[in-house]
Amino acid sequence: MFETLKNIGIKVDADYFDIRYEKKSETKIIFDGKELTQLTSNSTDGYVLRVLKDGGLASIAFTRFEEAEKAIKQVLENARLIAKNSQKKVVLAPVEVKKERFIPHLNQDPRKLSIDEKLELTRRYNEIPLRVKKIATTHIGYLEVSREKYFISSEGAEIAEELVTTRINGTITSRDGNLIQTVRVGIGGSDGFGRLRNQDEHFEKKTSIALQLLRAEPIPAGNYNVILNQSMAGVFTHEAFGHFSEADLIEDNPTMREKMKLNAQLGSEILNIKDDPTIPHQLGFYKYDDEGVEAKPTQLLKNGVLVGRLHSRRTATVFGEPPNGHCVAEDFRYAPIIRMGTIFIEPDRFTLDQLLEELGDGYYIIDAKGGQTSGENFTFGAQYGYVVKKGKLGSMVRDINISGNLYKTLMNISMIGNDLELCQIGGCGKGQLNIRSCNGSPHILIKDVVIGGI
Amino acid sequence: MDKLIKLAEKCCEKVEVYSLDEHLNRINFENGRLKEIETSIQSGVALRIIKDNKLGFAYTKNLQDREGLIENALNSLKGGVQAEFDFPETKNLPELKSYDESIEELSNETVVKECERVVKKISERSKGQVNITAIIDYFKIRILNSSGTDVATRISNYYLRTSLLFPNSYASIERILQDRKFVHTPDDYIDYIVDTYNRSSKEVSPPGGRMKVLFLPETLYVLLWRIAYATSAESIYRNASPAVNKIGKKIFHEDFTLINDPLNEDFGPARAFDDEATPTQMLPIIENGVLKNFYYDLNYAQKMNKKSSGNGFKTGRWESEKIAIKPGPALEHLFITPGKASFSEILSSIDQGIIVAGALGAHSGNIPNGDFSIGLAPGLYVKDGRIVGRLKDAMVAGNIYEVLQNVIAVENRVYPGMVGYFPAILFDNVNVASR
Repeated sequence: MFETLKNIGIKVDADYFDIRYEKKSETKIIFDGKELTQLTSNSTDGYVLRVLKDGGLASIAFTRFEEAEKAIKQVLENARLIAKNSQKKVVLAPVEVKKERFIPHLNQDPRKLSIDEKLELTRRYNEIPLRVKKIATTHIGYLEVSREKYFISSEGAEIAEELVTTRINGTITSRDGNLIQTVRVGIGGSDGFGRLRNQDEHFEKKTSIALQLLRAEPIPAGNYNVILNQSMAGVFTHEAFGHFSEADLIEDNPTMREKMKLNAQLGSEILNIKDDPTIPHQLGFYKYDDEGVEAKPTQLLKNGVLVGRLHSRRTATVFGEPPNGHCVAEDFRYAPIIRMGTIFIEPDRFTLDQLLEELGDGYYIIDAKGGQTSGENFTFGAQYGYVVKKGKLGSMVRDINISGNLYKTLMNISMIGNDLELCQIGGCGKGQLNIRSCNGSPHILIKDVVIGGI
Repeated sequence: MDKLIKLAEKCCEKVEVYSLDEHLNRINFENGRLKEIETSIQSGVALRIIKDNKLGFAYTKNLQDREGLIENALNSLKGGVQAEFDFPETKNLPELKSYDESIEELSNETVVKECERVVKKISERSKGQVNITAIIDYFKIRILNSSGTDVATRISNYYLRTSLLFPNSYASIERILQDRKFVHTPDDYIDYIVDTYNRSSKEVSPPGGRMKVLFLPETLYVLLWRIAYATSAESIYRNASPAVNKIGKKIFHEDFTLINDPLNEDFGPARAFDDEATPTQMLPIIENGVLKNFYYDLNYAQKMNKKSSGNGFKTGRWESEKIAIKPGPALEHLFITPGKASFSEILSSIDQGIIVAGALGAHSGNIPNGDFSIGLAPGLYVKDGRIVGRLKDAMVAGNIYEVLQNVIAVENRVYPGMVGYFPAILFDNVNVASR
């Protein structure tokens, strides 16, 4: 494959270029209720060419090899137009030029297993909620995405890497009259099919939560002290803080850039946040990003102080900071953008019981349901929670949506647990979808959070 | 494609071939300066086959190996996905204006110049940061099936979204411009953004509680998402919608009328057929508050003994690769009937209230139940008929089956929003949580 890419590269008259070719295979099995509604296995492929010409960096994605010449002409035109109209010339930070073929070790390569086996496992998990009265429906599916990536650059890089992601996830919907409640279920990862087996308990637990939610009370709107579980705190870390560690998001936003200066005290002194795509056996694992840069663990917050951020080669130059291999594309349809790999709050020493005791009165909020940020402000939902009175768990509550100011909330994190967990299902939609976006945290206690209620 | 369908017909009773060729340029301005130009040239073919009432589905980006594609579709039959529907015989479709050939000649340079002009006009009157995304997109869809259908359409789309950002955030005042061809950005588009922004420059912290809330065309999708979920044939079939058995019943305020009209050439890319080659139609979803119709694709129509309403589209939840998605019921051409009051008249009628100018977390509430609970990014605070500032740390929450009963006013103009054209709508008695 490298030879084919070099044959395209030979025709590119630029100061720098890189070409990525990907073959992406996708197997999808979906159940809606009892009914199997999809079973497909397909592969697609395509090219992405990036060029740097006269200080303008542009990209083009195309499907067929025969389109390469047309693509080269168009992308060079785009690069010249950017160079002409932009006052800042793009300079890519120097990195070590790598030549490697990297294939991660998998515990049971799903590509070698039969579709029947995947179908039966998905069916078994899907039947767990459906056996129960008051479960109205399910939407549960198996997804397997494998990407074979080939990357060359005019600097001489030649990298091939495989990324294989598997998961079984979806929703369970319960219903009582007009009241409808939904919970998310999901297991998965990037280290093989093995981790999907023997997970019946997860589906049983979530079924029970879906039923209990029919009897839960809506949470009243107001300001509360709360404990977030690992999933909630992980999403908070990703949404509220993580995105603004991505250099491209703040690069051209002068006021945000001012706030996110290195050495700024952004959080309480107990707070440490890191992004590390190199931890093996977790969803966000990769060795090289889509600029051919080797991924590095990056400390973002140390004792509440901002000490690092996530970079592409372009933004590393702009900020005068080291590149760390965080420029990643969804697939062959896109040029890479800066992404988190595996972002998490580092654990402290407290147990959940100690956190509850410290909380006294408030809410214990469990399992994320999507979030979004606009910079200073963020909003994200939870699947359920419990009233906490004098440190003891009370009745279940539903309809929990949290909103807050990033900087105030980081300062209001007052206690951190010892029980770090990383998520198994990813899905960050910053322009492109990243199904391997991984986050995590131990339990954390936050003071004075706005809850919207309904 | 013609060869592919002939080959597939040899082994299957029913066959459908869908092809898409798309060319897309995306131009991004950040902080008033050109930052990125991305081009994407994509094509692909999707194949659906039905054999013994079972469905097979496969797709490819490169139609080099026809046998391989058919083999893939045959393999997917093994799972036993039930499909008892027929592919439609579609002929004599109306000619719609959905494509303007000038789009293929439109240079990125022309659009960059236009973006620079918009930035300059805004910056003359405002200190805020200007971000613009411009898209030049054109594509061709062709569908052939074993019932003898061979239909094709071309769509062109010019899109310009301008955002004027508040400090320390991505919260902004924004407006969308959309046409079949390049158009100059009108002055009133720029005036709206600048005037609204300048009036909201002060940060305020009013008390929360129940009050009037105005959703803008750009944020109404929060409510419409829940209506679209509730009225989809899929949700009805799965008994997961509060709208089951409510056809003909008045569920919302009488001033609220929502239709889906792919045939209207003036509002978004018109389509004479959906992604299954079923002819489209003007379909009222809510008429004067009364629930009129659910919307169907071929699959759910057959299961529910109905006819497809021409709403089978390849629309995924998060995915954008149309080729890889099976068609399902979708509303892609929504339109809310405008009311009588102008925007300024509506504004001056508000004694105390919030304007939802940007919403965070529309996807995270209990959508099946109709609940929403969104962060405001930003929310504008209105007192005695005037915008007096913007709120931070505030949320607006409710349930569409309550909130949409409390319509006070519907604006007399529509603007492009997410999958449709909408006016601003003012609601009474909505819950606002504030710090």
